[in-house]
Amino acid sequence: MMLVRRSGPSPAARSVPAERLLAEIQALDVTHVLNVPDTHQKTLLALLAKQEQPKLVTTCTEDEALAMHAGLYVGGQRPMISIQNTGLCACMNAMRGILLEGRVPALLLIGLLHREPDLPSRQSRVLTVRLTEPTLEAWNIPYYLMESEDDLHFLREAYQRSYDERGPVVVLLGAKTA
Amino acid sequence: MLRREAAEALADAKGDAISLVTMQAGQPWAESGGSEVLNLNVVGCMGAASTWALGIALAQPEKRVIVLDGDGSLLMQLGSLVTIGAQAPARFYHFVFENGTYGTSGNQPMPSQVHDFCGLARSAGYKATFSFEDAAALRQALPEVLATTGPVFIRLAIQPEHTELSGSGTPNTAEQVEKLKAALTM
Repeated sequence: MMLVRRSGPSPAARSVPAERLLAEIQALDVTHVLNVPDTHQKTLLALLAKQEQPKLVTTCTEDEALAMHAGLYVGGQRPMISIQNTGLCACMNAMRGILLEGRVPALLLIGLLHREPDLPSRQSRVLTVRLTEPTLEAWNIPYYLMESEDDLHFLREAYQRSYDERGPVVVLLGAKTA
Repeated sequence: MLRREAAEALADAKGDAISLVTMQAGQPWAESGGSEVLNLNVVGCMGAASTWALGIALAQPEKRVIVLDGDGSLLMQLGSLVTIGAQAPARFYHFVFENGTYGTSGNQPMPSQVHDFCGLARSAGYKATFSFEDAAALRQALPEVLATTGPVFIRLAIQPEHTELSGSGTPNTAEQVEKLKAALTM
């Protein structure tokens, strides 16, 4: 199984317009975005807050976001999760106990907080950034690197893959949304 | 009140509600018949049952959702009270078994006995709270409790007990997810 998808060899991460990201999310018929606020997704979150669909739901912790996601899925909705890389570290037990053991399809859009735009995340001077990809690989969680507008299609691929493989699939957002 | 007595009263009152149970309440809930239909036993992720139930309640607002939670589990995710209060599902009933100990690991005391869960729930936005120390009183009041507009928080004061949770005997979460999803959406 191929764990990682990236569009090219360039290590540079460039901003993705929030409007286009929102359009991709809406095209997937996502009903709810479970969110713990993320600096990289600030402009996307501002847009989501104005939408009726998907409904933006802010939770106190990432654990709650993952559990609510599972409940909405069980109840027939099409949710997704929006957090940042520090939040990923915070919710690994919920990742195991809910999404992995429950085999719950889940798209997680994760901002790489403090990622240096011109360095690959594995070479980051920031430990949280540097650990993100190896952490996902250690847990066998597929992930995609969204490094520019050209990578917007990864969102649909990741969403579909989460249903095909019945589990969590991550899209790592390399730069702040514009 | 024994945990089993409370579980039996809740099972008798469950009706067509969806139930989520966690930790020590799982076994008496199953033995009382509460887990036979529309049920999910949340294992291996302390504190997640209530927000898992919240997701179901938002997806299926016409259905009654009841949660059988523990005080140790609630303390693991105390912020969940705020999240539930903010979303305010009208048919959401959060029962918390309170005995001040971590039952599964051997009844070790919780960090403090100085807390008022009902007060915390009210402050977090729950619409109503109840507290019971006696199984007969609980049984008698359940029709009123389950007719109250939610989210409703119900404290159940129980005696410390201890049941080993066997790793091999724990329910398969993926099977439970698919079974409940099929029941709710097909």
